[in-house]
Amino acid sequence: MAYFIQRLLSMAVTLFLISIITFTVTNILPGDVAMMIMGTQSNPAALANLRENLGLNDPLVYQYGRWIFGMLTGDWGNSLLFKQPIGPIILQKMTASALIVLLSMTIALTLAVPLGVWSAVYKNRWQDTASSSVSILGVSLPDFFWGIMLILLFARALGWFPSSGFVHPNEDFLMALKHAFLPSLALGLGLMAHLTRMTRATMTGILSQEFIRVARAKGLAEKTVIWQYGLANAIGPVMTVAGLQMGYLFGSIIVMESLFNYTGMGWLTYQALLNRDMPLIQATVFVIAAVVMLVNLIVDLLYPFFDPRIQLK
Amino acid sequence: MSERNKLSSKLDTQVDDPIVSLDHLRVEFETDGGTVVAVNDISFKVFPGETVCLVGESGSGKSVTSLSLMRLVEFGGGKITGGKMLLARDGKKTANLSEVDVDTMRSIRGNEIGMIFQEPMTSLNPVFSIERQLTDGLRLHTNLSASETREKAIELLEEVRIPDPEKRLRQYPHELSGGMRQRVVIAMAMACRPRLLIADEPTTALDVTIQAEILSLINRLKRETGMAVLFITHDMAVVAQMADRVVVMYQGNLIEEGTVNEIFSAPKEEYTKALLAAVPQLGQMAGTSLPSPLNIPGASATVKPTSGDIGIEKKTLLEVKNLVTRFPVYGGIFRRKVANVHAVENVSFTIDRGETMALVGESGCGKSSCGRSILRLVEPESGQIFLDGKNIISLNGTELRSARRDMQMVFQDPYASLNPYMRLREQIAEPLNNFGLAGRSEVDDIVHDILEKVELPTSFLRRFPHELSGGQRQRVAIARAIVVNPSLVITDEAVSALDVSVQAQVLNLMMSLQDELGLSYLFISHDMAVVERVSHKVGVMYLGRLVEVGSRSQIFENPQHEYTRTLMAAVPIADPKKRNISNDMSFKPIPSPVFPVGHTPENPIYEEIEDGHLILRN
Repeated sequence: MAYFIQRLLSMAVTLFLISIITFTVTNILPGDVAMMIMGTQSNPAALANLRENLGLNDPLVYQYGRWIFGMLTGDWGNSLLFKQPIGPIILQKMTASALIVLLSMTIALTLAVPLGVWSAVYKNRWQDTASSSVSILGVSLPDFFWGIMLILLFARALGWFPSSGFVHPNEDFLMALKHAFLPSLALGLGLMAHLTRMTRATMTGILSQEFIRVARAKGLAEKTVIWQYGLANAIGPVMTVAGLQMGYLFGSIIVMESLFNYTGMGWLTYQALLNRDMPLIQATVFVIAAVVMLVNLIVDLLYPFFDPRIQLK
Repeated sequence: MSERNKLSSKLDTQVDDPIVSLDHLRVEFETDGGTVVAVNDISFKVFPGETVCLVGESGSGKSVTSLSLMRLVEFGGGKITGGKMLLARDGKKTANLSEVDVDTMRSIRGNEIGMIFQEPMTSLNPVFSIERQLTDGLRLHTNLSASETREKAIELLEEVRIPDPEKRLRQYPHELSGGMRQRVVIAMAMACRPRLLIADEPTTALDVTIQAEILSLINRLKRETGMAVLFITHDMAVVAQMADRVVVMYQGNLIEEGTVNEIFSAPKEEYTKALLAAVPQLGQMAGTSLPSPLNIPGASATVKPTSGDIGIEKKTLLEVKNLVTRFPVYGGIFRRKVANVHAVENVSFTIDRGETMALVGESGCGKSSCGRSILRLVEPESGQIFLDGKNIISLNGTELRSARRDMQMVFQDPYASLNPYMRLREQIAEPLNNFGLAGRSEVDDIVHDILEKVELPTSFLRRFPHELSGGQRQRVAIARAIVVNPSLVITDEAVSALDVSVQAQVLNLMMSLQDELGLSYLFISHDMAVVERVSHKVGVMYLGRLVEVGSRSQIFENPQHEYTRTLMAAVPIADPKKRNISNDMSFKPIPSPVFPVGHTPENPIYEEIEDGHLILRN
């Protein structure tokens, strides 16, 4: 419990710093909210009037205070682009992205863990070389390349999956999955490469430990030794890296969702940036940071279940 | 050959059939540098109810032999390329382990042959409970129900004398001490009542009291179950205590085989004689007052007994007064200091010029922290340290740096203490350049000179550390320490990682350097027999405190403190006629030196029973 409180406190501090940075950066950028609303050719007097009404002439500290108070109390303001309250927009887009993030992570882990273990078991043999080559290919080619390839193959040529669009899981779960699948696969392939390397390195270390030899000396079958005795020790480190990859993933979805015209957080961030929708930019950055931190906190809280040596205190 | 062997060949009776017989075993490893023959040609037998010790130095092939018996050697890239390993099986046909298929081998492993390994800290899977690890062998090899397996597991823990077995089953390995873990590992190996137990250096990583307990446990289990034990070790003292018969190995070959008495009282081969001569024996130095080099047959007889008289008048070099070193333990939301590890608690002693003072004790007793505190590698909390009259504690950073020229340190692991990217010339010259002690032209002369002193050929100057053996590396570490001409060298377990014959050479080198250069040593070690050999004075540490200090003969011939006596009783003696490991030894575990903040320990009260012989009385 003390650990949990400590982590929440440090998360609050980090979020506070992030809020200051996003707020400052968006204010330094040329052009302000009033200009965005009225357009560049607008009447200077009306512009000044709007600035006064929006409180843009107040000291920055006041403006920040108002904004952060709103964020904390649930009043996130209106998007300039969508002319709607930001809160509900983000909630909806977050659901869409959660689907992609979870799906791509699942794809990455189900491919990476067996491949990494396989590599470690056959270390420095052809199996290892093969798996390393696949990994290197995954890392060296950018996500959007995989995206384009997948569209060409699965959407255009085979027609198994839609090439773009988003369906809410509440409407039709199967269709939602179908729409999320290709962008998730493209993201998952990039993620997989890192996770395979990580699993291989961790498992290589574990398999050289004495308890593996002890397990074999008991007469246990090789599959038990590797997939139970060995892998149980690798779950913690692999999950930690997977958690850290979340940040990377939220960066990647900006490109991937735009490519597949999948209207999630990534797409939203891109639209917000494109249209200089300051309130929306601030809110999305803030929410993404919070979500990434939360996921990592959850991974850390789960750690004692993977490894009894870890005590959270 | 032993009586038993003759008998069995004559009568060919069931009773005396060997459990395993190795017949011209050959094991090879494929490496990048070509084929390496780890075991060349080994034949020996193990009979029911006997303990056979497989003894040899690193690289002798003793572990590879034992791993081959379990066919575990293949997992490390080894290959059995010749010979037979016949295992007599209960009610089944004799199996040749060199050829059996994987499934048969798996039904033998952990069932008919049990095995325990060296490192209790890593022998258990950290993420599985003790119960799971103890019962999975039973589930595999027997048809017991879940509740029966659990009962059996509790029984096994009781058998290896683990208190609170039911509670232990729920625990994880990290919650147990090293000795307890090794007991669990033994219980695991014993689970299916194997007819042969292979123990591969099972006590090498343990403290001497725990070693004594584990050895006595293995002896008791052997007696109670009638199983045979194949005991692999490098430690001749352990061999003397445990073996019925001994097989001596060297570089993959069998050198000599015989009963333990034959090997120890009348070794036939030169190698066996050398091995035995290199082993310091506790009690061997009784009646002498000065350190004395070890006999190394074959080596030149130039090592003369150290004189102890080095032409300098007896003068105190190092004075340590009331030294206290504590390490903070942090906890809580704000990571505040919640407790202290009392590593060194009010320790005082002096070392004269040209004298060796040994600090002995078990792991965690504070002996290493004490050595590091003197160099201020860890900052002492209080106390005073005077080196040659200079107050070390009061020095600032720059002064301390130059003061360290006079006190150098040699660490335990010569693999880790040398920079792998530096050639020997740079390694040895580095301290000189650090302190600006020699001009460019002089450096080479000094390095050559030092290399000669530590008895390494000058052709080594261009070598990297990985091109040297462990003993050679430790010589380099010593060269680095003495090149700046220090008056005090602190050696922290400097010979513990070395093979006995190499250990003897390094110890002799240290003693002759002392003679030649008038060095003082603070010799930190856990090995009582080595300490007896090399030291003038001995301090015994326990829980951060010096419990007894005195001259070598006072401590070894007249130990007064209870802990010193416990320690002595646990040291195995390298003589099969003096077996001191009884059948059920159990020592009090060492309590924790962690105390809450603000805890003030009592001031130590010492009683001086003889001139210079102090005993802690509280």
